Amino acid sequence: MSAPGKSEPSEAIARARTGDADAWGVLYREYAPAIFRFCRRALPTREDAEDATMDIFAKLMRDNRILQYDQSRSFSAWLYKVAANHCWDLLRRRKTRQDKETEDVENVPLEHPDPNQLDRLIEQKTSEEVRCALDKLGTRARMALVMRYYSDMSYDEIADALGVRRAFVGVVLLRARHELRQALGQGGALAAGGTS
Amino acid sequence: MTDDNNFPGDAGMPHLDEMTCLLYIERQLDRARAQEISAHTQDCAACRTLLRALERESRLLTRAMLEEEEALPARLAHFEERARRSMQWIWTVAFGLAATGVYALYTGYVEPWQQQLEQAGFGGSNLLSLLIFQGAFWKGWQSMVTLLEILALVTVGGFALAVLRKRVRRGSALALVLAGFCITLLLQPVAARASEMRKGESVGVAADETIKGDVFLFGDRVHIEGTVDGDVFLFGHNTSVAGHVKGDVIAFAQILEVNGQVDGNVRAFTNTLTVRGTVGKNVLTFDDLVNLESSGKIGGSLTLFVENLNLEGMLGRDLLMFGKHLTLSGKIDGAIKMKGDLLTINSSAQVGGPIHFEGNNPPDVSPQAKLASPVDYQKIRRRPRYMEGHYYVWQVIWLAAFVLFGLVLFQLMPSFAGEAVADAERYGASFGLGVLVLFAVPIAALIACITVVGLFVGLTTFFVWYAALYFAQVIVGAVVGQWLMGRTRELWPLIGRMAVGLVIVRLATVIPDLGGWVKLGVILWGLGAISLALYNRFQPTLSASSPGPYTPPLPPNTTVGGIQPA
Repeated sequence: MSAPGKSEPSEAIARARTGDADAWGVLYREYAPAIFRFCRRALPTREDAEDATMDIFAKLMRDNRILQYDQSRSFSAWLYKVAANHCWDLLRRRKTRQDKETEDVENVPLEHPDPNQLDRLIEQKTSEEVRCALDKLGTRARMALVMRYYSDMSYDEIADALGVRRAFVGVVLLRARHELRQALGQGGALAAGGTS
Repeated sequence: MTDDNNFPGDAGMPHLDEMTCLLYIERQLDRARAQEISAHTQDCAACRTLLRALERESRLLTRAMLEEEEALPARLAHFEERARRSMQWIWTVAFGLAATGVYALYTGYVEPWQQQLEQAGFGGSNLLSLLIFQGAFWKGWQSMVTLLEILALVTVGGFALAVLRKRVRRGSALALVLAGFCITLLLQPVAARASEMRKGESVGVAADETIKGDVFLFGDRVHIEGTVDGDVFLFGHNTSVAGHVKGDVIAFAQILEVNGQVDGNVRAFTNTLTVRGTVGKNVLTFDDLVNLESSGKIGGSLTLFVENLNLEGMLGRDLLMFGKHLTLSGKIDGAIKMKGDLLTINSSAQVGGPIHFEGNNPPDVSPQAKLASPVDYQKIRRRPRYMEGHYYVWQVIWLAAFVLFGLVLFQLMPSFAGEAVADAERYGASFGLGVLVLFAVPIAALIACITVVGLFVGLTTFFVWYAALYFAQVIVGAVVGQWLMGRTRELWPLIGRMAVGLVIVRLATVIPDLGGWVKLGVILWGLGAISLALYNRFQPTLSASSPGPYTPPLPPNTTVGGIQPA
């Protein structure tokens, strides 16, 4: 994906909108690695991520869905949105979605967790451990975290992709963090919201 | 969630809850609330620490996700080239097969039938129209033949546009098809005349009565003694036409007797049909027994799927019969084509055209009978089909037709086809649902047809169901192809796998004795998969506009999506 500040290949985008296969090649080379990593984070297996990446680009090319892209906005953000929709749709169809959030949403923790304990946990854990823990999360929780902290999607975009109300996105993210802390092995007290 | 839940902080104010802290660091609070939080954290060390911890957690998450630079897998790196290459050979194979299939189907199947039917007095029709549309209730169904032809052309046109012009979106292609459908429907001649419906145990048209327009008659005993200036639709046990019908007679009955005059055609689905009167045009019938008595006269042709036919009256044109036994004592001005068990031609018989009889027993022809030419008899051979060469040619033709069918459907509905293929791997659910759909849908369609209002729905359902029987085999072909060549979600590789899988499936279905069961299993499996995919499509899903899950209340003064705090 284009690095921050790096300009997007607007010429290739414009040509791709006319169905130019070479332009699609340019876009694919530019964006496929990032989309693959996004899918890799969002989907359970590497094979799923590979298939999803190909599907996303294949559909974009075949259906010319790039015409739906608003050129005044960031192309990479739009592409992430397409990828997020695709991945979530895939997960939803597989019936692997875990609707914990919708089941016990009333138990959204409001308490004040122990900040020092949380601090220590963050201090101790490596990126690799976090990645392993992410793999253990429910699909919605993982999807929400990936959309927010990998592709920097807005709350509106996350709400749209997950099919939830915008006001619910914060709750989804907070619960996802709690799940993550539990998966990291220290969650008991933190996720339950121990106080100092 | 309210601040009441919070604990007193260092400044005597309640501690912030974690939700508020998260929304604060995510910049989702409005300015006033954010300033409030900011002021609070100046004085409250615990909340300050919590904010800092959450921020660090966010950074850790982002770092963990971005840090690992997993290289793009090799199969993705060459995605484009592979897709293009796979498309080329699939195109060649698919269109080669398709062209062969279309040509062979037309020249080997449609054309000969057309010629035969034209000879039998059904000029311009094909078998399908003869059996289904011409025999149906509504006159306008005849125009549906044209509609189907137009639909086929529009579909092919949309398909070509979708394939050849990448700029034309699939939606446009489908829109073209639908637009074509709508336009064609609008152009169809509607049942122009008013129709009347009568129901009862004994209904009919009295001798002194004249009905202008079509009439539908439902009853145990249905008798027409008056005049109908339109078509007559009979549904009953014991039915008769003793009066004058100026249009067609379409009957579903145990017994139908035509003692009067019918100027149009007679289409009968009955047990026994007796004609003592006059039929101006053609008669098409599916019966157990048909009697054309000595006083009876049919001006056009007679086409029958019947057990026994006693023909003592006069037939103006050809006789085409698929049945068991024909006893001929009357006069036929045209030719006879018969496939059956026994042909008896009595001394009083007169036949003006050639007689072709394909049967199990030699014809019994009286020497006194007046025949234009001797009977051309051909004994039915009972060789296993697979012993004959053309059987294999036909199998190849059918395979090509299946591939073409699958190609068009996959191209027009790639997403749905992919879902159906994926659902086919839910074996138990697919088979179970397949059994249900295979038997329940035609019954439901039949029930819908019984009510005149639901006729269109019923017939449409039946056609969709019938098409799905073929599509089911295509879906199973795709699954088998994926077993052999690996999974894919790309369209063209999936079509390639479908073609390969179809070869295997078709081969399995032609195994003597076992093949029929294999075919049934394939149809059940595929039909279930299609139904599952349809079910999943129409299953309600969460959406932003739907009521959605319960949303907890946010802290007072909190406005998600607010501006960034100062």
